[in-house]
Amino acid sequence: MRTGVLKSWGYGATGGALAILFLFPLLWSGWASLRTGTGFGLENYDRLFTSDNGIRPHHVINSITVSALTVGGTLLVSTLGGYAFGRFRFPGKETLFLVTLAILMVPYATILIALYVLLGWLGLQDSLIGLSLVLIMFQLPFSLFMMRNSFEAIPLELEESAQVDGCTTVTTLTRILLPAVRPGLITVGLFAFLTSWNEFFAPLILLNSTDKFTTTLAVVNMRTASHGSIDYAALEAGVVVMAVPCLILFAFMQRSYVRGFISGALKG
Amino acid sequence: MISRRAQLAIAASAVLAAGLLGACSESGGSSTTPPAAAVDDGAQLTLWTRAATEAVSKAYAEAYNATHKNKVAVTAYPNEEYPAKLASAAGAKALPDLFGSDVVFAPQYASQGLWADITERFAASGLKDKVSPGHVRAGTWEGKTYAVPHTVDMSVMLYNKDLYTRAGLDPDKPPTTLQEFADHARKIDKLGGDVNGTYFGGNCGGCVEFTFWPSVWASGGDVLDADGKNAKIDSKEMADVFALYRKLYEEQVAAPASKDEAGPTWLGALQGGKIGIAPGPSVWLGLIEEKGVKMGVAPITGLNGGESTFIGGDSIGIGATSTKAAQAWDFLQWTLSDEAQVEVIAKNKGVPVRTDLASNKYSSADPRIVTINSLVAKGKTPYAKNFNASFNDPQSPWLQTVRGALFGDAAKSLADGNGAITKSLQQG
Amino acid sequence: MTTILTPPTHTPARPVRAGRRGLTRARRRSLLGALYAAPTAAMVGAFFVVPLLLVVWMSLHKWPLLAPATYNAPDNYTNISENQLIGSAIAFTLKYTLVMTVLLFGLAFGLALLVQRRRTGVGFFRTAFFLPMAVGFASASLLFLGLLSDEIGPVNEVLRTLGLVDGYVSWTSGSSTTALSSAVLLVLWRFAGFNMLILLTGLQAIPLEIYEAARIDGASRWQIFRRVTLPLMRPTIALVLTLMTTGSLLAFDQFWILTRGGPDNSTTSLVMVIYREAFIRLDLGSAAAISVALLAVLVVVNIIQLGVLRRRSS
Repeated sequence: MRTGVLKSWGYGATGGALAILFLFPLLWSGWASLRTGTGFGLENYDRLFTSDNGIRPHHVINSITVSALTVGGTLLVSTLGGYAFGRFRFPGKETLFLVTLAILMVPYATILIALYVLLGWLGLQDSLIGLSLVLIMFQLPFSLFMMRNSFEAIPLELEESAQVDGCTTVTTLTRILLPAVRPGLITVGLFAFLTSWNEFFAPLILLNSTDKFTTTLAVVNMRTASHGSIDYAALEAGVVVMAVPCLILFAFMQRSYVRGFISGALKG
Repeated sequence: MISRRAQLAIAASAVLAAGLLGACSESGGSSTTPPAAAVDDGAQLTLWTRAATEAVSKAYAEAYNATHKNKVAVTAYPNEEYPAKLASAAGAKALPDLFGSDVVFAPQYASQGLWADITERFAASGLKDKVSPGHVRAGTWEGKTYAVPHTVDMSVMLYNKDLYTRAGLDPDKPPTTLQEFADHARKIDKLGGDVNGTYFGGNCGGCVEFTFWPSVWASGGDVLDADGKNAKIDSKEMADVFALYRKLYEEQVAAPASKDEAGPTWLGALQGGKIGIAPGPSVWLGLIEEKGVKMGVAPITGLNGGESTFIGGDSIGIGATSTKAAQAWDFLQWTLSDEAQVEVIAKNKGVPVRTDLASNKYSSADPRIVTINSLVAKGKTPYAKNFNASFNDPQSPWLQTVRGALFGDAAKSLADGNGAITKSLQQG
Repeated sequence: MTTILTPPTHTPARPVRAGRRGLTRARRRSLLGALYAAPTAAMVGAFFVVPLLLVVWMSLHKWPLLAPATYNAPDNYTNISENQLIGSAIAFTLKYTLVMTVLLFGLAFGLALLVQRRRTGVGFFRTAFFLPMAVGFASASLLFLGLLSDEIGPVNEVLRTLGLVDGYVSWTSGSSTTALSSAVLLVLWRFAGFNMLILLTGLQAIPLEIYEAARIDGASRWQIFRRVTLPLMRPTIALVLTLMTTGSLLAFDQFWILTRGGPDNSTTSLVMVIYREAFIRLDLGSAAAISVALLAVLVVVNIIQLGVLRRRSS
């Protein structure tokens, strides 16, 4: 009826206005990146890829490597850990969980030099593996929380019936539980990818050789063109290039990660 | 059963203890035997530099690699984060074989022992008195030399010849006193439209020190004592220079954007061709002309005459944790040679760090280059261990003083600022 | 991972002394749990606890970069009060946390309420609000730097054409208010969608029957919101508030890139001071001390918040 139509107009208008506001910066970024001195074109992207300190194929490969390692490692550790926290009782459980959450309370600047030293002791300095291990660690609070809640949300009957059928914990986990926590896994994987793909400060400090640099480092190097003057256009081109893979992933996974949030954050 | 937490704590302490023991035994590794002379045996050397200096460092490296067995690989880092990069690498005892830094940061790095001691090598090279003395001083700590000059970047007055002509000024007669500079700026500002007389970095401590201090020096004043432990920025000369620029800003002769200029858009403003005359880095001459603006160059002058410049640029030394000091020295020594200074630096319109090569076969091609090169003899490089924290850092007491002197209560800012800066200079 | 244990159905009914074949079911379960948690413990122990202990150790020393360290406790801690930037940094960080939490929470909750029901376009809206998370935070800061700039940003042009602004304005360093607003706007844009999703899950967990029942009882929309929605959302709200306050207290990137702590140190946050101590002043001991103090404060704050949550939800 009347109020119904008005309400849905109100919803549509508010939602639409907000959506435009939220999408605007990204859209503008794309537009600004195409703008050259004389109109529009791909000149800025060209500069981004061909200038002396621009993006090279090895940058992209390094970024992909770090992201793959981080996503894989995070999924592995947080799934096993989430299973442990969600389904078992063991000594030190509360403490370990709290210490993991404490990772959120320590800023980069504090811990980075100590991490650099630590990686040196392990022989992992200036390596993509060392960097990935650090990034996995920073992902643990969120991903462990998500996976724990995902496992907790699974009805006990499911697991018990599997055990009655004679499954060990391992087969229970892989055959029965993993499919049930798939949304959580996707969410954790997505966030791990986003962080590792876009990470700037950790690779800057922990990597030394130019052939190990990631794409983000190359883009930020574009920030200061000649003598400290900002090259805004190339910068926006860099932002767009970095965002495109993430946007594509988002588009494909929209439903999954929303469900992942639902299953993962339910228990607050 | 020991709780997991206790287990972790024990493991951690063990690791820590091992690490500390390792750290203690690693430090203080300078040899007691005399250092080998330069060695060229095909070593791979790593060189770190900041983004602003990347082009020059790479040019040095390429030319060296082409004629030597050693190979130098250059890595550049974003300017703002470069100090963090160096500090982290040092903290992990993993410095590269060679690294450069802004010359005003050199005393700090030298005092921290980040570079290897090259006193004897430098003395033996015979180049000690032939290179920029300001740079050499900057790389010296308690009598020992740790770094040599790498690049020279000086502050000069850059003026737009077209705007000069349009305003009725003679484009070949730049101002000879700071007062004259202010008058020229006023005249050009009268052209109206979006033309402004002058421009400065009002939100950038490094920019202001680079461009204002030469006027203080040329007027016979100073900003720091010789040891860099006491500030003198409340001197009459500094106050007068601030007052002059402040007046230009209040009269809107200086572009309004000057107040918020933190550095990144400084060059862009000059490249726009709408600024009459402004002090800036000498290396920007070519960059501004690339945009089609005809530029002239003049020394920065004192209030009533005299000339000076801020001799900036980079210093470079051998990383203290490097195991290839002899090979690294081979590269460093070569960069100071005639061949490197003339064919790599002068050929690309840079300023040679060798004072005896100021006039060379490339410099005479452009009389402005001759002017710039001659300033090395008239300028200063300020020396202070805590220079970065006191003057360059955005949170430094110097920037606070600058903002107060130009846009707030000038007298109070200078008085308070001097105390705050002195305290910062003397800290730890 | 292979298991050495027999399936549960063969477990002895009463507890037996620990031994290779005689673990109780509970003990076996507990061992399994510990094994599954082992990778987590290893990662957290090696890459977090050890460096953190090193930081605590460093805070008790004068720690030069290369030379050996000298014990100087408690100097690093007592000198914190002499640091000229600390006072204003603490005040600013607290003010920023308050402003940011209120605004971000309000916006995220509003968005969540807007998109909670299945309607046309809801998927599109949710994606639009969440999309900013695709951009890394450093990238997002650089994006806003360009967006708000005079050189290529549209903001000033639009405001000038509308006549609201005259001449040159700098949003990121014009005044302390505009600088703070730029940073707040950036964070709102980037994180509203993320927090919206978390709040959304809390909203959607409330069974529709409860709403039905309340409506049948004649409660107004506002009453339903206050008496039904909010209380049932308490744990979710607590989580979101905890994340927001912790994130704001640790804010760094947005100020480092957008405003550089200016103008006149008006947007210098606490972590910026830590960064400066470590990497500009090269005083690692002092930086470590401030970090430990900050961590202690955060732990206390979060314990209080979690304590309030537990009491309320039980």
